[in-house]
Amino acid sequence: MSASHSDSLIRFESISKKYGNFQALQNVSFEIREGEIVGFLGPNGAGKTTALRILAGFFPPSSGRVFIRGLDLFKYPHEAKRALGYLPESVNLYPDMKVGEYLRFVAKLKGVPSREQKLHVQNKMELCGLTEVERRLIGRLSKGYRQRVGIAQALISEPSVLVLDEPTTGLDPQQITQIRELIRAIGHHRAVILSTHILPEVSMLCNRVLMIHQGKILASGTVGELEAFLKDREVIHMMIKERAHMEIALRLLRSFPGIEDLKATETSRKEISISFETTCDEDLRLKISKLLVENDISLIEIQRVPLTLEDIFLGLLKQGKFAQRSGGHV
Amino acid sequence: MNKILAIAKREFASYFHSWIGVLTGVMFLLISGVFFVVLVLNYVKISMNPQQFGLSNFSGISQTQFVFGSFFTNLNVLLLFMVPILTMRSFAEERRQETLEILFTYPLSDFEIVIGKQLGIIWFFEVLMLPLLGYMAVFYWIGGQFDWGPTLLGFLGFWFLGMAYLAAGVFISTLTKHPVVSALGTFSILVLFWIFEWVAGITDGIWGRIFSELSPLDHYKNFSVGILSLQDLVYFLFFFFYFLFLTLRSIETRHWKTS
Ligand SMILES: Nc1ncnc2c1ncn2[C@@H]1O[C@H](COP(=O)(O)OP(=O)(O)OP(=O)(O)O)[C@@H](O)[C@H]1O
Ligand SMILES: [Mg+2]
Repeated sequence: MSASHSDSLIRFESISKKYGNFQALQNVSFEIREGEIVGFLGPNGAGKTTALRILAGFFPPSSGRVFIRGLDLFKYPHEAKRALGYLPESVNLYPDMKVGEYLRFVAKLKGVPSREQKLHVQNKMELCGLTEVERRLIGRLSKGYRQRVGIAQALISEPSVLVLDEPTTGLDPQQITQIRELIRAIGHHRAVILSTHILPEVSMLCNRVLMIHQGKILASGTVGELEAFLKDREVIHMMIKERAHMEIALRLLRSFPGIEDLKATETSRKEISISFETTCDEDLRLKISKLLVENDISLIEIQRVPLTLEDIFLGLLKQGKFAQRSGGHV
Repeated sequence: MNKILAIAKREFASYFHSWIGVLTGVMFLLISGVFFVVLVLNYVKISMNPQQFGLSNFSGISQTQFVFGSFFTNLNVLLLFMVPILTMRSFAEERRQETLEILFTYPLSDFEIVIGKQLGIIWFFEVLMLPLLGYMAVFYWIGGQFDWGPTLLGFLGFWFLGMAYLAAGVFISTLTKHPVVSALGTFSILVLFWIFEWVAGITDGIWGRIFSELSPLDHYKNFSVGILSLQDLVYFLFFFFYFLFLTLRSIETRHWKTS
């Protein structure tokens, strides 16, 4: 059926969203096909939740259109929402209902034929590991189990589009692993978009990444492309003895090409700690130490640290550079 | 239709899952029971010795009128307190708990959500009214003479009044995410409507007429004396559907800060 409408299960077409005067999303467009698990990556306040809420039909955008399986979500909400499963950022379910009772309620609301309801719900409970808590009140479940109920309700009626807003936030490491496995298992034959600010999660789960910052898509590419791009970046940490030398040191460092995100802080021992990112392939440490020594600056420490993915990403986002560079890489 | 019923059932069941719902039910039973017993005893007392109460001819006062007329009038006052409590959770509580977000992403229309909720609340109200039928049976059983018309119409009028008030309460409940604010707001609105009757009583001419037409109690009164008029029916239906419409509009806008 989907093929006759369009190749992609999700099409987000120049979506903008304003909250009052605040522009939360600006001309965001993307498409997601069947079988893809797409990571929606961005720091706090980037607009991930806003975009996913629009995608789930919670509220309409200020402008732009959303297509689910080729159907305009806000023209034919009833039909389009049938193909949709949504896990909100904070999973708030009726605390006074029991797990099984709640999922059967959801099945009714989603229009699962009454003959199939029981089996359908049973299946989803098994898939999400909920069978043993079927008769427990949702309000008494642990956060991890509530999250599973959230995923189970999203899966009811076999939606071909899954929208998951930070599915692993707030869970302990073991639960995170379980939920990730679950997502991987349910990802086949669907289009899945999940938001996160954990980079490793994207590499583990997704085959494609969308990066969003301040309401705009910064970059989009495969996980491989993202990793290749990130690989040759590193951070150099150094310490100098005297505060008086800080200004000169910083000025000297700025003269090097390819040094970014220069930061200096005073440590508790009155030493100055300086760190910066570099994109150079060659090792800058020798050049830097030589230059500083020539200028009578007492360098007491210099080391290379591989960047954590978070560092790089946040640094990139701040400067908005991934977009330009990734263009060259793709 | 199945979806509406599913929502109504959940709403209905939620009253039994919360101590507020149960407490309201118990209080309503207790207070209405006390009203009933006191009225019957009063009637018995007066009827034994009418002269003592300055009534020369007691047969002029109908039992039904005395007992059930005053009974429903008292219950109307009780509604002012009960409806805000019954409706405060409908949307305000869901907004506070943020449980609406998922609901809005299901293949449901706003109409189905609103009607379903309204229906569930009305069901609970009707369950509370069931014992009133019991009082009628008791009255009949202890040998009361029944004037069926006014009693049943009084009952029907009370039901209409309740529905209208509940619709207003549900609307107020969409305006806030604090159930207590919703309850206070609903109470204020209902008291305002209550005052219409009083204003109508002390105002002459066109204004008296206008307030009387607007007052739910004035329309209710016709029922309680056994008059069923189209005007009153239209009034209550309009009241109910108007607030239902406002509720729908309020839900549609969703300008709610959900984070
Ligand atoms: N209902 C709202 N009214 C006004 N502003 C809002 C509303 N919801 C979100 N915002 C603002 O829009 C911006 C984007 O918010 P959004 O929740 O989409 O970010 P996010 O990427 O999901 O962040 P996080 O990682 O913290 O979940 C934020 O600056 C936020 O303050
Ligand atoms: Mg978010």
